[in-house]
Amino acid sequence: MSRLSAEDRRVWIVIAVITVLGALFIPFSQIVLGVNYTYTVRTVATGGAILGLVTGVLGCFAVLRQESLMGDALSHAALPGVGIAFLIAGRDLSVLLIGAGISSWIGVQFIRLVLNTTRIKQDTAMGITLAAWFAAGIALLAYIQGRADASQAGLNTFIFGQAAAIVESDVWLISVISLISCGVLMLFWKEFKLVTFDPEFAGANGFRIGLINVILSTLIVVAIVLGLQLAGVILMVGMLIAPGISARQWTQKLNQMVILSGVFGAFAGSLGAVLSAVDADVPTGPMIIVAAFTIALISIGFAPQRGLLWKLIRRQSDQRRFAAQTTLRDLYKYANSHGEASYPIPNSLILGIGGSTASLGLKKLLQRGDVKQKNDKWILTIQGIQVATEDAYNQQLWDVYRVYGDELGVPLIMEDRQKPIEDVLPDDAIIRLKQKLNEGLT
Amino acid sequence: MYGLESLIIQFLMTFFTREEINFFLRDPQNTAIIIGCLIAISGALLGTFLLLRGMSLTSDAISHTVLLGIVVAFMIMTSVFGQEPNTSSPWLIIGAALAGVTTVVLTELIYKSGLVKQDAALGLAFPLLFAISIILVSRFVEDVHMDEDAVMIGEIGIAWANTNSHCFENCTTVTIERDDELADITRQCFNCRDLGISPRDEGAEFSEICTNCGTYSPGQAWQAGLVDEEPLLVFWPESITVTALMTLLTIGFVTLFYKELKLASFDESLAKALGMRPSVMHYALMILVSLVAVGAFDAVGSILVIAFFIIPPAAAYLLTDRLSLMLIYSAIIGSAGAFFGYGLARGEFLGIFNIDDGLAFLNRVFDLGLLERWDSSISASMVLMIFFFFLLSWILSPKYGLVSTIIRRANQRRRFNDQVVLGHIYNHQSTDREAIELTTDDLYQHFRWSQSKMKLVLGRLRASNSIHVVNNIIQLTPRGEAHVKLFRQENLATESTVN
Repeated sequence: MSRLSAEDRRVWIVIAVITVLGALFIPFSQIVLGVNYTYTVRTVATGGAILGLVTGVLGCFAVLRQESLMGDALSHAALPGVGIAFLIAGRDLSVLLIGAGISSWIGVQFIRLVLNTTRIKQDTAMGITLAAWFAAGIALLAYIQGRADASQAGLNTFIFGQAAAIVESDVWLISVISLISCGVLMLFWKEFKLVTFDPEFAGANGFRIGLINVILSTLIVVAIVLGLQLAGVILMVGMLIAPGISARQWTQKLNQMVILSGVFGAFAGSLGAVLSAVDADVPTGPMIIVAAFTIALISIGFAPQRGLLWKLIRRQSDQRRFAAQTTLRDLYKYANSHGEASYPIPNSLILGIGGSTASLGLKKLLQRGDVKQKNDKWILTIQGIQVATEDAYNQQLWDVYRVYGDELGVPLIMEDRQKPIEDVLPDDAIIRLKQKLNEGLT
Repeated sequence: MYGLESLIIQFLMTFFTREEINFFLRDPQNTAIIIGCLIAISGALLGTFLLLRGMSLTSDAISHTVLLGIVVAFMIMTSVFGQEPNTSSPWLIIGAALAGVTTVVLTELIYKSGLVKQDAALGLAFPLLFAISIILVSRFVEDVHMDEDAVMIGEIGIAWANTNSHCFENCTTVTIERDDELADITRQCFNCRDLGISPRDEGAEFSEICTNCGTYSPGQAWQAGLVDEEPLLVFWPESITVTALMTLLTIGFVTLFYKELKLASFDESLAKALGMRPSVMHYALMILVSLVAVGAFDAVGSILVIAFFIIPPAAAYLLTDRLSLMLIYSAIIGSAGAFFGYGLARGEFLGIFNIDDGLAFLNRVFDLGLLERWDSSISASMVLMIFFFFLLSWILSPKYGLVSTIIRRANQRRRFNDQVVLGHIYNHQSTDREAIELTTDDLYQHFRWSQSKMKLVLGRLRASNSIHVVNNIIQLTPRGEAHVKLFRQENLATESTVN
């Protein structure tokens, strides 16, 4: 068995936790919320999970390409297509989805056209398309509502989403389209990865960027159109990008991010669908968004390394380390100026020089055993003197590097005095620096 | 608010009679168009600055959050103070505007944390806030003016019906108290329902309730038949007052701080250096956008309002390079959209085409069985008309329009071709390669052009008397030579300045 890196392990732990939470939610909802897992609720939950999975997976690319708001414009732009498809063919889900897809695809092309032929910027172009297409959709739906037949009732679910509208045949349709989308994604994995992270490099290597972009944005349109049933046009963007943003906080690798995002999306999708099935008053879209956003909030706050909490902890430990180093230098300098490194320094003196940094640093040094306290005076221990001497020598080497670096032909590096210079420069360069330092001293 | 309305009406009464005003406002079309134009003007003025500052989608952000502010303020007022406020209540407006500004600040904080890109921060925050407000609306608020549909499209079509009455003559306010002779007192069992008994049963307790006590405004008193003389009333839709106030505020802000806004939008550093505090302007703008979004909520809902902010300035941006003209154009485009939008909702497209006929035609050709009467959302139709005017200015704008751009690019291409050919001839004529390079039949090969293209270019040059053909060899005329020399001089001049 190959050893997993810490990061890989973390991703699997998160996936396991989410799965367990999902499994625990079923008895919880039965007992506490009184959800009865009837045939309908099971269908709705399955549909929600599959839709969440596929939008989460494809949404990763929208997030990474910084096209989150494009998702917003696209989902709004799907609405008139739904109306026209209904007028032509009636309420058949596959036809409505095709209509939605075509309409939002026309929206993308319109944005491109405006960008290419005028000086209007992207955000404005998206705003125009979003508002105009949405208004067209609303106007059409208002016209449809004037009709005598009552079957238009289902169309409003496209605005805020309604899980209860999903029936078994819909789940099959959704599953097949999702499978095809994921298949295409795997087939073009390398190309999508390259185009997302470094389009210029991809172009220079002979990949057809235009074509790949079209395939990728078509996949995103497919994900949006599928999700409309569940989240509705207004909130679809949240369902598309929130899982991706959450997953991004946990990992640096694209494949892990995509898997994790799919899991988050599936969890949020089924959770929202079940919760809204409890109460017919609440549309599904908002519930899913709240679930997905909660995951995103937890991820942004607590994900290891990137999370805000970890950043805070890291900043504090950096601050303490810096304070300890500065204080150690001060102690060493003043002790030496009195002839010996173990000369006791009065507390008032060192606090007077360093202020709050000094008190923080002394605490840290005492903890490390670099100093000891005796009658309000601080004395460097043997270990402390050794650390301070090494640090002073390191600083001297850095000084030599700065002044004579070019002259000695030492490779140019970024100057980071916090690090031992031996770690950043090759051995032969260190030898030359040390020689120069010795010459200077004699 | 009420006092302000009276002032406006008194002002109008100097020009029109009471009947004229009432008659005018009772027509749904007039009220809807007035409100639409007012929203369009304030949206267009503010949107212009948003567009120039690259913040168009911030209006999207604000309009989403404002909804949350309205809903929360609504719920607080209903549950704590026990009264249902209408959406023009000043507390609601202030609360919602605060919510809008807070969101802008919050999004800025989110992306400054560096974990989430700016677009993703917007895409994350607004759906969430909107989702929360929808859950609150659908679950906890039960009010005719607050449902999902009103959130989507507003109620501009019925704004005329929601009026305050203002009295000018024969104004008698009637107050009925318990001991008045007019008071209608009935006995009512107040514990029957709790105990599940009928009033005849034992243990039923009664209280005396006055069913018609209270204060009657002159209009109500007349309707209830409490006064003999009909009061002279003006019925004034209150949506007009709110939107008019927002529009006045916007116009005042833009005219007063025109210079500051202009500088802060185009050159923030210079504004800062001159001590103008562009960030104050930034937040003032955000507050105004929130206020206008709240004011427009009643009429056009919380999503369509962004169209009034974004589309008219974008159209004006394609028509002019001057800020003052851009403000005026976008206000005109927005108002025109609102004006013709009402007709569109009823099926009249600019008065030249009737959608009903179009639907009938579709039915005839494709047999779709469509309803042949177009009756649609007024606010959405206004947005569509504004979008139509955007398309017009996009296609026809003399400077940045689609047509003029295509013509300009074609002209450039033509001029470039002419110059290349002239330059080629200039380089080779009267040299020994002349016979190879400059024959009329083979010239196209040296350029790797198609034969027909070369024929076209040569024809044009000959027509402008720049070249002539001698023994099948092309030569420059003096005029053509002068042209080449001038061109080379200009090029040398630019080269020397570049170097």
